[in-house]
Amino acid sequence: MEMEKKLGVYICEGCGLGEALDIERLEKKVPPKIKIRKTHSIVCSPEGVQLIKEDIASEGVNTVVIAACSRRVLYDVFDFGPVIVERVNLREGVIWSHKPQDPDAEEPDELIQEMAEDYLRMGLAEAERILPAEPYQPEEPIDKRIMVLGGGVTGLSAALEVAKAGYEATVIEKGAKVGGFAAKLRKQTPSSYPYEDLQEPVIARIIKEAQAHPKIEIRTDIEVARIAGSPGLFDITFKPTGTKSAWDVMSKEEEEEILAKMAEAGEEAAAKGDEPTPDSPATILVKNPDAERFGAVILATGWKPWEPTKEAEPTPEAEGEESKGEEVKEAEGEEPKEEEPTYDHLGLGKFSDVVTNVAFEEMAAKGKVLRPSDGKPAASVAFVQCGGQGTDEDFPYASSVTSMVALKQAKYVREDNPDGKAYIFYQHMRTPGQLEYFYKSAQQDEGIFLTKADVVGVTGNGDGTLVVEAKDTLLGENIKVGVDMVVLGTGMVPITRDEPVLNFAYRQGRAFQDLDLFDGYPDSNFICFPYETRRTGFYAAGCARRAMSIQECTEDAAGAALKAIQCIESVYRGVSVHPRSGDMTLPDFFFQRCTQCKRCTEECPFGALDDDEKGTPLPNPTRCRRCGTCMGACPERIVNFPDYSIDSIGSMVKAIEVPEEDEEKPRVLIMACENDAYPALDIVGLNRLTYSPYVRIIPVRCLGSVNVVWIKDALSKGLDGILMIGCKFGDDYQCHFIKGSELADIRMDKIGEALVSLALEKERVQQVQIAIDEYDKLPGIIKEFMATIEEVGPNPFKGF
Amino acid sequence: MADSYWVEPDVKFVKQLKTLGGETLKKCYQCATCSVVCPISPDEKPFPRKEMIAAQWGLKDKLVGNMDVWLCHHCNDCSTYCPRGARPGDVLNAVRAYSIQQYAWPRWLGRIVPDARFWWLLLAIPVAIFLFILGLTGHLHIPEGEIEFAEFFPTLIVDIIFVPLATFWIPLVFGIGIYRFMTDIHKNAVAEGKTKRKDLNIPDFLKSVACTIPTILGHNKFSDCTENKDRYLAHILVLFSFLGLFVVTNIFFVALYILQEPGPYPIFDPIGITTPIKLLALVSGIALLIGSLLMLSNRLKDRGENIGKGSYFDWSLILVVLGLAVTGLLSWFTRLLHLSPIAYWIYFVHLVFVFCLFAYLPFSKLAHMVYRTLAMAYSRYAEREPCE
Repeated sequence: MEMEKKLGVYICEGCGLGEALDIERLEKKVPPKIKIRKTHSIVCSPEGVQLIKEDIASEGVNTVVIAACSRRVLYDVFDFGPVIVERVNLREGVIWSHKPQDPDAEEPDELIQEMAEDYLRMGLAEAERILPAEPYQPEEPIDKRIMVLGGGVTGLSAALEVAKAGYEATVIEKGAKVGGFAAKLRKQTPSSYPYEDLQEPVIARIIKEAQAHPKIEIRTDIEVARIAGSPGLFDITFKPTGTKSAWDVMSKEEEEEILAKMAEAGEEAAAKGDEPTPDSPATILVKNPDAERFGAVILATGWKPWEPTKEAEPTPEAEGEESKGEEVKEAEGEEPKEEEPTYDHLGLGKFSDVVTNVAFEEMAAKGKVLRPSDGKPAASVAFVQCGGQGTDEDFPYASSVTSMVALKQAKYVREDNPDGKAYIFYQHMRTPGQLEYFYKSAQQDEGIFLTKADVVGVTGNGDGTLVVEAKDTLLGENIKVGVDMVVLGTGMVPITRDEPVLNFAYRQGRAFQDLDLFDGYPDSNFICFPYETRRTGFYAAGCARRAMSIQECTEDAAGAALKAIQCIESVYRGVSVHPRSGDMTLPDFFFQRCTQCKRCTEECPFGALDDDEKGTPLPNPTRCRRCGTCMGACPERIVNFPDYSIDSIGSMVKAIEVPEEDEEKPRVLIMACENDAYPALDIVGLNRLTYSPYVRIIPVRCLGSVNVVWIKDALSKGLDGILMIGCKFGDDYQCHFIKGSELADIRMDKIGEALVSLALEKERVQQVQIAIDEYDKLPGIIKEFMATIEEVGPNPFKGF
Repeated sequence: MADSYWVEPDVKFVKQLKTLGGETLKKCYQCATCSVVCPISPDEKPFPRKEMIAAQWGLKDKLVGNMDVWLCHHCNDCSTYCPRGARPGDVLNAVRAYSIQQYAWPRWLGRIVPDARFWWLLLAIPVAIFLFILGLTGHLHIPEGEIEFAEFFPTLIVDIIFVPLATFWIPLVFGIGIYRFMTDIHKNAVAEGKTKRKDLNIPDFLKSVACTIPTILGHNKFSDCTENKDRYLAHILVLFSFLGLFVVTNIFFVALYILQEPGPYPIFDPIGITTPIKLLALVSGIALLIGSLLMLSNRLKDRGENIGKGSYFDWSLILVVLGLAVTGLLSWFTRLLHLSPIAYWIYFVHLVFVFCLFAYLPFSKLAHMVYRTLAMAYSRYAEREPCE
């Protein structure tokens, strides 16, 4: 998009700027070609704003540069519609965070003045190069229908929420009946005051309501073969449960193999292709013309009970393998496989009266619980909540729900037998929120006995009853209890752990990514964005997200439903949904120069890019979250946003004036992530904490968007160091784009090697992680980095 | 693990503790705040946290015969600080009440004394005995003339009833209880590792009893309490007034049978208070009245969450003591005021209370004076706490 830039520069004298800076000298730094340049005592005042508006109306100013406060404040005051607004942060970034060396001096401090001048130059450089964006409108029509995968309590509740909000929902249930596990309960934990008594299951009412709602369609015995497309434009192919389909998505490895073959065979052969069959399904590049279109998807696939893995009979071969020993295996490069514990000592499988909590619930739903071995009433039952064996770990996937189920089932024992006894052996008793009352009510029951304990084992008593032995109990010694039945409090495994479920026809694979990191749950941030998965348009709810009670599931369903609607509406308006809500910009790929390195396709945290068999990226604009990771990844620098580009940031870097070496004024560039680090730097100023006047800060969308070329530009310009400040990464990441800061860290590691080859110290480029509430650490971090730079000395490229 | 403890919860026991003032026992969630705030609990294996879970699980054998239950002085600091309102102090009080019943012999008396349904029966027994003996000896009428209680209720008859009660009944039934109690707490202490002494050596134990007496007389444990300090004064008044009255009674016993000097001694003093012995009687009587009234008000005081309100078991003793004090003083004063026949009636009621106190001692809360003394002595014997 070409347009004639007409800049207007407005310098503010308010908030102490006029006193701390030589505004006249600052204004002189504006190049003479910019005719419209004004200073005002308070630019954000009605008069100041009026001044700008008049220039826009009468002078045709289309890019406004305001040298005043941070871009994070007063953005609503400085909103002039389509006009580009560039903010130069002189208040928080300069005068509030820097004290003059001589506080009594009448003249403004030279170092602070230089800082302000640099920021003005940088702002002008950026303003010259950025363009306005327009909302993205796909060519094909957007569908606002929402698919809800899973017809359990979460799925049906989500469908109802969607329908009540006026949207259409289609519930896809792989089983023959809806209701899920919630329909197999005797009772459920209380959801209302006084939170003490067991409650009749709510699922029957929810099923009835969903079935009767005109905006809800329920389909059973059906599953997803593939989901192609992007938010607003999902093309979903269904198939009968358990069958093979021509549209099944292959595993990533199979897919890659076939695509490689197609690339070899040449374009023509590839375009022709063969008609897909269930035995030779279509690649992700083939579009199913009969697929149904949906706008967004709610993932409510729930959970399955965790089962202890049976110890396999050792085969002769395996035994031979065993005899090699761990050391030999390690030497051979075989990693010792992390296996789930077996819990044979608890007697599951050995005694028919030892059952899981799921089996017990199903028995209880049928009526009075009877011992599976002899059909006699189970009058004393031990609920074992942990595997014991010296660790305090609960069973895999156990949670607060498991604790509450144990309390609930203990109450069944008491309901069924007036003299019944229920023992609960736990390591962790978790009853969050109001359910503490439920715990209390169970505790009040004279026949319910609770203790923290390490269960040693379950053995037969000779008379058909069982003996539970436990150590480290609250009773102060090892104990044995004779019981009729033992119930193991096993956990809830997300369906997504073992099955691709959604079957994305995406280049990055048919299942969610990094499942191993999150025990099989789709990745999301449980505080900041719980429903958003790594795939835009897919919102997880209920036990697909984490183990939840039925009440929590119904509430969670509402959250995911609203997120799905928000997504569809954002797509409809042509803007980004999350976390850069409302952003209209999209990455623009200059394909003529693409080398098909696939880096952008692979590194996009959201799988927004597919590619053809040759590796040329195929963008899916509505999947994009506008983080710029593709821009940071591209070695050819062909990915740019209208208002955020290699050139716009590069020009800012180049606009920094680097003093001669003998002036002894080092220059350090800080690339600060605008999600946490940049606001934190503003807070530093707000709190009048100070940091070195030798740094120049550039906000970036995400450290993942930082292209190495900016680092090169900075170093060749003579800047002495570059500090990148981003969000925490790892399995408890805070990165808003999930992988951005992690990718930047990897890239910076690589750049370190490159620096050494140029005889530059790798200490010159560093990355730190910070959260928004850790602003008070920033002055220290900057000080430390400046000390490092002083130690390694000035950049030898200065003055070139 | 051969030494595992076989758990057999006794739900009936849990229910009984609840009726004895421990109705909150199931609320405990084992945070052990109680053991931490308790000013008198020993550092090793402190109470009452472990007693609370034993109570929840209905583990009778871990509570009855557990000396720690008796080391507790019911300050209720624990109950005040308990985050769950489980009132450990009151639960231990209930356990003590239950233990008294368990060690009582004969058992049936142990069961009816703490049972609120039988209060009338307990009062009817002495009334019936008295009326029967008085009737048999022809004293079933109000005597004429100057009030002289011996005319109505001859001293000999009083002594025929009370001397065997004090010298035969109490030692016998208590002896059995004490024997069982000592055997149990020693066994329990050895089993739970609270002592290294495997034997129960009588002379050594008696030494421990001797070194416990000053602690008891000084009410040192009571003064360690913070939440319920008021009980210190009430209890010390009642204890010392009983001691005073014990001394007075023995002196009169000697005066009557050895010096052949029957009461009410008008020869010394018509009003009857200027002799040191009469003065002691009066002071003790008044102290008993004040002490028991203080106990009453302490029980009624609102400490939140019904802390320290007690059960019938606690209240019946306070009321008997109060009755004893009131009727004792009133029979004295009505006699001096020549209020016949009221004085005789009051005297009769007074004797009924005395009977209750004596006859039911091993079954009532008053038994704590023996069991707690023994437990405190044993705790010193077991080196659980030092001799002061």
